[in-house]
Amino acid sequence: MSEEQQQEEQQVRKQNYSESEKTDIFDNEFMVHVDSMYNFAYRLTFDEDDAKDLVQDTYLKAFRFINSFERGTNAKAWLFRILKNSFINEFRKKSKQPAKVDYNEVEQYYNSDDAGASITTDLRVETVQDMIGDEISGALNGIPVDFRTVIILSDLEGFTYEEMSKILDIPIGTVRSRLHRARNMLKEKLVSYAKEMGYAKNE
Amino acid sequence: MQKMNKEEMGEFSNWFKKTFKKCYCEQGNLIDEDGFSELVQLVLDGEADDESRSVFEEKIKTCVKSNFTYEKEKSIQAEIKAKLCAHRSELPKDLAQTIKNSVNL
Repeated sequence: MSEEQQQEEQQVRKQNYSESEKTDIFDNEFMVHVDSMYNFAYRLTFDEDDAKDLVQDTYLKAFRFINSFERGTNAKAWLFRILKNSFINEFRKKSKQPAKVDYNEVEQYYNSDDAGASITTDLRVETVQDMIGDEISGALNGIPVDFRTVIILSDLEGFTYEEMSKILDIPIGTVRSRLHRARNMLKEKLVSYAKEMGYAKNE
Repeated sequence: MQKMNKEEMGEFSNWFKKTFKKCYCEQGNLIDEDGFSELVQLVLDGEADDESRSVFEEKIKTCVKSNFTYEKEKSIQAEIKAKLCAHRSELPKDLAQTIKNSVNL
């Protein structure tokens, strides 16, 4: 969706905030999420400077379109949606780590009926308990961005399926199936990693 | 952000019933673990409606394999979630101020 289209969509319920109201919203409803926003951006870009640029760009847009934000609604989800759109529309194109995988192709495969058997893993609880956060984070970073995103939104940021559906512009049923595929992909990565590191003796 | 509408809730509920049915053979034994783990995910994420949840809970009380799969998924998901949440990147000190400066606040 282009910026113009986004603007049009958001203009449906346009507010007319005073300067002091804008400052208040920006400080108290937007800036409180800067930590989560940076984490999300970093997990998308894997680069500190790129993540900072992406977050800054998101906040600039949020301020520019602040009259499209309805006070008392979910500011965090609203900001995440802008960040995700910025990443897809602009950032991915100039990213230092361009996409090497056709994500639609990957998703089509993982959503196909015959994909089930190959993605069933036998990950043990003890194996995950033996791992440190850095290792699990590394495994998460190894899965395609569209799948990584749903895990971040759900498990790290606590968004509901409904909120994720709005942030990602996908049907709620796709959120459910993509999250399931993503978690299986993560488990597969963890099993492979555990084997390499000798954590999983019998897996 | 709007709440899930009735149509979407109904779609989820129907999907749950259909998938649940496919997970078990006529004797009531669990035969599709992957399908079942998708149901577990829905329950653990708090996205299953009351009726689906109640059917699910009744089943895990009586089916050892279902109960084992549920408990395993629950533990793995909790463990992964806790470790990922504890492993967050530190916010650059100057970022918040840079943002505020850029919008003249």
